[in-house]
Amino acid sequence: MKIQKIEKKISLSAVMTGVVACIVLITLLSALFFIIKFYENAMKQTSITSSEQAVVQVMNTVESYTGDMAEIMEIIAENIGKDNPVLDDFLKNLLLIRSDVVAITTYDTAGRLLNCWSDGLQLKDELYQNLSYFEIENGTGLVISKPHVESLFVNYYPWVVTISQHMKNFQGEDILVCMDIRFSNIASYLDDVGIGQHGYCFILDTNGNIVYHPQQQLLYSGLKEEKTEMLTDFQDGVYTRSNVIYTINTLENCNWRIVGVCYVDEMITNKVENMIRISVILLLLVLITALIAGNLFSKAFAKPANQLAKAMGDFEEDAENFHFIPVRGTSEILSLSNSFGQMVVRIQRLMDKVRREEITLRKTELKALQAQINPHFLYNTLDSIAWMCEEERTEEAVEMVNALARLFRISISKGNELIPIEKELQHAQSYLKIQNFRYKNQFTYHFDVDSGCLGYLCNKITLQPIIENAIYHGLNRLIDEGRIDISIQENEDGISMKVKDNGVGMSLEQCEEILHREASDKTGIGLKNVHERIQIYFGENYGISIISELDEGTCVEIRIPKIQEGGYEIK
Amino acid sequence: MKSNRMRNILFGLFVILLIVCYVCGIGFIIRNLNPNEKEGENSKHYVAVITKSTTSAFWKSVFAGANAASTEYNLTISFDGPENEEDFETQNQMIERAVKNGAEVIIFSAVDYYANAEAINEAAKQGVKIVVIDSEVNSNKVSCCISTDNYQAGCMAGDAVLKSKEEKLFVGIINFDKNSANGQQREEGFRDTILSDPRVTIVETRNVLSTIENSKGETIDLLTKHPEINVIATFNEWTSLGVGYAIQELDLSEETMVVAFDSNVVSVGMLETGEVDGLIVQNPYAMGYLAVERAYQLINNLPIDETRVDTETTLITRQNMFEDECQKVLFSFD
Repeated sequence: MKIQKIEKKISLSAVMTGVVACIVLITLLSALFFIIKFYENAMKQTSITSSEQAVVQVMNTVESYTGDMAEIMEIIAENIGKDNPVLDDFLKNLLLIRSDVVAITTYDTAGRLLNCWSDGLQLKDELYQNLSYFEIENGTGLVISKPHVESLFVNYYPWVVTISQHMKNFQGEDILVCMDIRFSNIASYLDDVGIGQHGYCFILDTNGNIVYHPQQQLLYSGLKEEKTEMLTDFQDGVYTRSNVIYTINTLENCNWRIVGVCYVDEMITNKVENMIRISVILLLLVLITALIAGNLFSKAFAKPANQLAKAMGDFEEDAENFHFIPVRGTSEILSLSNSFGQMVVRIQRLMDKVRREEITLRKTELKALQAQINPHFLYNTLDSIAWMCEEERTEEAVEMVNALARLFRISISKGNELIPIEKELQHAQSYLKIQNFRYKNQFTYHFDVDSGCLGYLCNKITLQPIIENAIYHGLNRLIDEGRIDISIQENEDGISMKVKDNGVGMSLEQCEEILHREASDKTGIGLKNVHERIQIYFGENYGISIISELDEGTCVEIRIPKIQEGGYEIK
Repeated sequence: MKSNRMRNILFGLFVILLIVCYVCGIGFIIRNLNPNEKEGENSKHYVAVITKSTTSAFWKSVFAGANAASTEYNLTISFDGPENEEDFETQNQMIERAVKNGAEVIIFSAVDYYANAEAINEAAKQGVKIVVIDSEVNSNKVSCCISTDNYQAGCMAGDAVLKSKEEKLFVGIINFDKNSANGQQREEGFRDTILSDPRVTIVETRNVLSTIENSKGETIDLLTKHPEINVIATFNEWTSLGVGYAIQELDLSEETMVVAFDSNVVSVGMLETGEVDGLIVQNPYAMGYLAVERAYQLINNLPIDETRVDTETTLITRQNMFEDECQKVLFSFD
């Protein structure tokens, strides 16, 4: 029952919608997953490539810039050996041409400032601290300092880097030449380099000092930090650290390194979010489609299928009276419906045929049975008659013969199964008369008949077997005088015929048994036969019932419907 | 039969509804495929920065920070400030104008703690969010305040003074406008710190106009009237320069200890040459940057981390001025 209920609840359209939704969901999710993965990889690759390209470009530019500076240093080296006015002019011109060179200073081996050239800047009277000077070993060639503030001039503090080199002056003494450079050119170039949306490049020296960063002031203000320590340890190459791609390249001609920073997730997350949004909408659309499709499907298939199923159920319940209305729908449904319709017709035809055949068969059997006359009964009766004739009790013998004749006549009744109750009563009386003669008045019998019932029909030979049963099984073994009461009454449901005796009675088992026992040779038609005949003709509501009590007697009731002459047709 | 027809009609409506959903969905997808087009130029949000002045190095640095942040957060930004630092009326007009021009956030530094309050409240009433930097205003409509902890900065100046080895400290204070909140807070911190020391006597406090000339004149006047003064404290960029020039003129750089505020190329020079002995340097760049960052958060209704942010201050003396970290604080990179 439970399973049936659940089955009923899950409709075909719902299942279809669900299945489609699931398939779409799974496909979409897996597709999304793989696409995102692929996309992520591709994006990462692109980011790395563009990062590398940007860094290489920056590197080339910066390299050419530092190359320029190195060249300038070389030119200075060539000219530093010249006399002062020439050198002065040369350096002044140089400072004019290269606006990014702030100052050129020379120091003796003890670190004392020898000379300073600048583009019209006022040198401080007293140098509190000179950040442009730092000791380098002789012979190391060109050295670039970390960025610092220019501290040589009055009220002028730009950020510079210092390029230092040992040279020989015109007197052949070893001096240190320092050139302070504002890297505004590189700076403005670097500011414009972008990798992705927020990526950038910055210059780091090999000691981990940031030479220039597009967000230098943010770094100085403590609003931003760059993981310089980590980056210093890295060799050149590409590194991915928690969604940040670092691309590092070291310049060939100095100790600067270009670091490209690129944020992978920002590039990917946006797109992925977008993709997810689109997918969700796609999913919704597909769900809607599935809903519509499911609905249409159910209209075209599920509903007719349900109708068909219901029709089948109806047919199952009441096959005989079922009338099939063809179901409309798709061709599959139509063919199903047609087949079912044909099947119904054929089954009904077959059922009819079988029933008719059964009835015919039964009738033939019954007729054959009824036609049989219990030979023992006949012999005994004839013996009795013969004996009466011998004793010259002619009248009684005549009566006996008449009764016997009537008995047989009614038994045959022109082959009709249903005879009026009156006839059946006569039959019973004849039988009782004969038996009473034979049993030498061992029992008495009484009839109590509602005269209104006499006209109704009943199966023939219904009372006789019961009376026979009462005599043989109830009264035969009785010492006292037996008594048989036969009553026929009309009531609401039909007609009730009762045969009551005061014989030995039966136990419940015996009652059961007697209803199901085939007739023996000795007795005529058994109770079972009577019961079956009534049921075949009138249905299961009618038949025989037995009430019995040991040593008290038995009452057998026969119930049949009220049927007038001609009012009956075989079902 | 009737219910059947009803059902058919309902089904039809259902299908139509679904089709409408369908069309909407497809439209949405198509629009979503080009998400970049959604953000047009005209959808840029406008943030107005109104400050006490626009000329000092301090404010230029604030603007630089604000600019950096506005580029990063894609905001339109404007800078405005009165010509002199006492002019709260012009400031109030600027607030009104900014509201009229559709500013969504006003980043404000009050000339006058009280006189600017009404204009700010009015602007807030129009739905403009207020972020205060540097100097506060008497209003409870302020969403966020980013400034130096002025009292603490005053204390820092006081500590610098107390490092002096002199036996007696006669202190003169040159402060700017009395109604300006940050100046008063700094002075309070300064006083509280130095008065704990028995060597200290505060000779006189002068409130001067926030210009070099006025503060220079007042300083010279103060020093001639009270020659015993050997410590001068002053609390903003212009008065610092004024005091520095006065000391230079009177040639008292050896005798007088000067603790001043804010970094300016000139005041740094004076620090080096000795007219100024200590500089309390704020972090104006961070102030500007953080203010615009908060403005962005306010516009987008993002949660704000703190309603009060204290930016760093550093005491710079002649000894540490060229140390790496101090260089970064003292000299802006441009």
